[in-house]
Amino acid sequence: MNPGIGLQRTLSCAVLAESTEPQLIYLLLDATPEGAIAQLPKLPLNLCLVVDRSSSMRGDRLNQVKEAAGRIIDQLGQNDYFSLVTFNDRAETVISAQRVTNRADLKQGVARIEAAGGTEMARGMALALQEIQRPLISRGISRIMLLTDGRTYGDDGTCVEIARRAQSRGIGLTALGIGTEWNEDLLETMTASENSHTQYIASAQEVTTVFAEELKRMYSVFAQHVRLSITMRPGGMLRSLDQVRPFLATVPVTEKTDLNWSATLADWTGADLQAFLLEIVVPPLTSGDHPLVKVVLHYDLPGANLKDQTREEVVRISIRPPDQVTRQLDSTVKYWLERLMAYRLQARAWKDVEAGRMNEASDRLRMAGTRLFGAGEVQLAHTVEEEASRMLSGGSASEEGRKRIKFGTRGLMGPTEEHAKGT
Amino acid sequence: MAIICPHCQTNQFDGTIFCLECGASLLDELAQESTRQIGAGSTPTGGLPALNPSKTASIGVAITLVVVQSGTRLRLDPAEQLLIGRKDPAKGIYPDIDLGPEGGYDAGVSRKHAILSHRQGRFVVEDLGSANGTFVNGKRLEPQTPIPLRSKDELRCGTLALRVEVEA
Repeated sequence: MNPGIGLQRTLSCAVLAESTEPQLIYLLLDATPEGAIAQLPKLPLNLCLVVDRSSSMRGDRLNQVKEAAGRIIDQLGQNDYFSLVTFNDRAETVISAQRVTNRADLKQGVARIEAAGGTEMARGMALALQEIQRPLISRGISRIMLLTDGRTYGDDGTCVEIARRAQSRGIGLTALGIGTEWNEDLLETMTASENSHTQYIASAQEVTTVFAEELKRMYSVFAQHVRLSITMRPGGMLRSLDQVRPFLATVPVTEKTDLNWSATLADWTGADLQAFLLEIVVPPLTSGDHPLVKVVLHYDLPGANLKDQTREEVVRISIRPPDQVTRQLDSTVKYWLERLMAYRLQARAWKDVEAGRMNEASDRLRMAGTRLFGAGEVQLAHTVEEEASRMLSGGSASEEGRKRIKFGTRGLMGPTEEHAKGT
Repeated sequence: MAIICPHCQTNQFDGTIFCLECGASLLDELAQESTRQIGAGSTPTGGLPALNPSKTASIGVAITLVVVQSGTRLRLDPAEQLLIGRKDPAKGIYPDIDLGPEGGYDAGVSRKHAILSHRQGRFVVEDLGSANGTFVNGKRLEPQTPIPLRSKDELRCGTLALRVEVEA
């Protein structure tokens, strides 16, 4: 079988009742690599590590980061490029972008990093962007991996600007926040783009695993320039599109032409399963089988020198008289929907907190907890519950709880676990 | 017909599974086939036993507990106290409301979890010192301290969520 991406679709309900009113239905799209993906040549990596070396990183945190960086160097191949930038009140290029030929030299550079001083992230990001653009690679994956444990002072806007500049040039950003002091709003804004995400590392011991997972993910990229095009039947509407695997993220969609929505997606990795949940308004229809939505996935397979590949699926919907319809809800769709609702509710709760509406925030968190219980995410549900109570009694949430909830609901905490549920 | 969310009263599209406004489950609004009543005989999971007839003498008001996860409706008519828990024949525990068939064990429902009763025109719930707690609208109850229940409250035993519907 030729390499490519396969699409499986699942509707929340296989059959809808005939109605004179519009109805809501959910479509889960699972995408899986097909054919000999593993045999495609690996794409060269161009990786720049940006490490916060402010004084708060001293000790276990920096030691773990240094060890993890050493392991990355061990795993990189001869066609890969590596650079290392550190920052505190100033920024320094410790290793300028180069092919990984002399590992011992590179590791010596890593070993020399010492913690001291404050946190000025924009300086580090600016140098990183400079370094990562030095190698001339015609194809491959360029990514900045930023690790910080603190808040940057006064240069937030510049950080976001630099991140956007990098992303517009096809350079992804992985931001890793360690501990509880870092500014999640800043990192999330910086990574609000395809090929970028923020992950929460609760303890230093997790650093090595997270680095290794991230590297594995980058190494398994096989499709790039991935785009989803969704055409709805007349009267229908795409209300929202969310990625649910490998982690939850709202995907911005735009209706480019009448009834035709389009979304740009991240590079496709073979290491993760990808899945998307679509919220669709079905127009009033008479009994029968009707085409509902056409989904087209566009992508390039650089390893096979194939451009503009497409995979097309037409999803049909069965409409029956109400007395013949017994509504059975697909349990996988329900699981992801429950997780998605929890994620949306907590996001709105933090907005309520900002506006000083603590009761509303607490209510929303509680409901998020109920949804998480429903999805079987019991531990996270308890965390949510505790923070909701803390909010009501003390008027604020804890930094740690807030981060656990924000990133836990998205599946972006610590070493990520592959969720067996809902598959 | 659009659905009205029982929790926040907003209009939602037919077929909505969780209210887009407040996140409440609208499952039982659409999954009619899983609706059943205690003692109605049609228990697809083999499930809930009929209430002890001596305890169901009508008092003119009824309370329904909707199991959020499955949409199962437990319509109760309590004249006295009803025990919520998990059946354990070995220990001789036969609760009036047996949450065992609803996944009670995994959800951490104790054998004798809580008491639901009707006092002076109000429904109240009292935790019996259960291991994993009884919650009303997310707030954990002190053991042996009765708390009034109102319509649309969320009652939770361990992690098993129930929605309260009171009808006069």
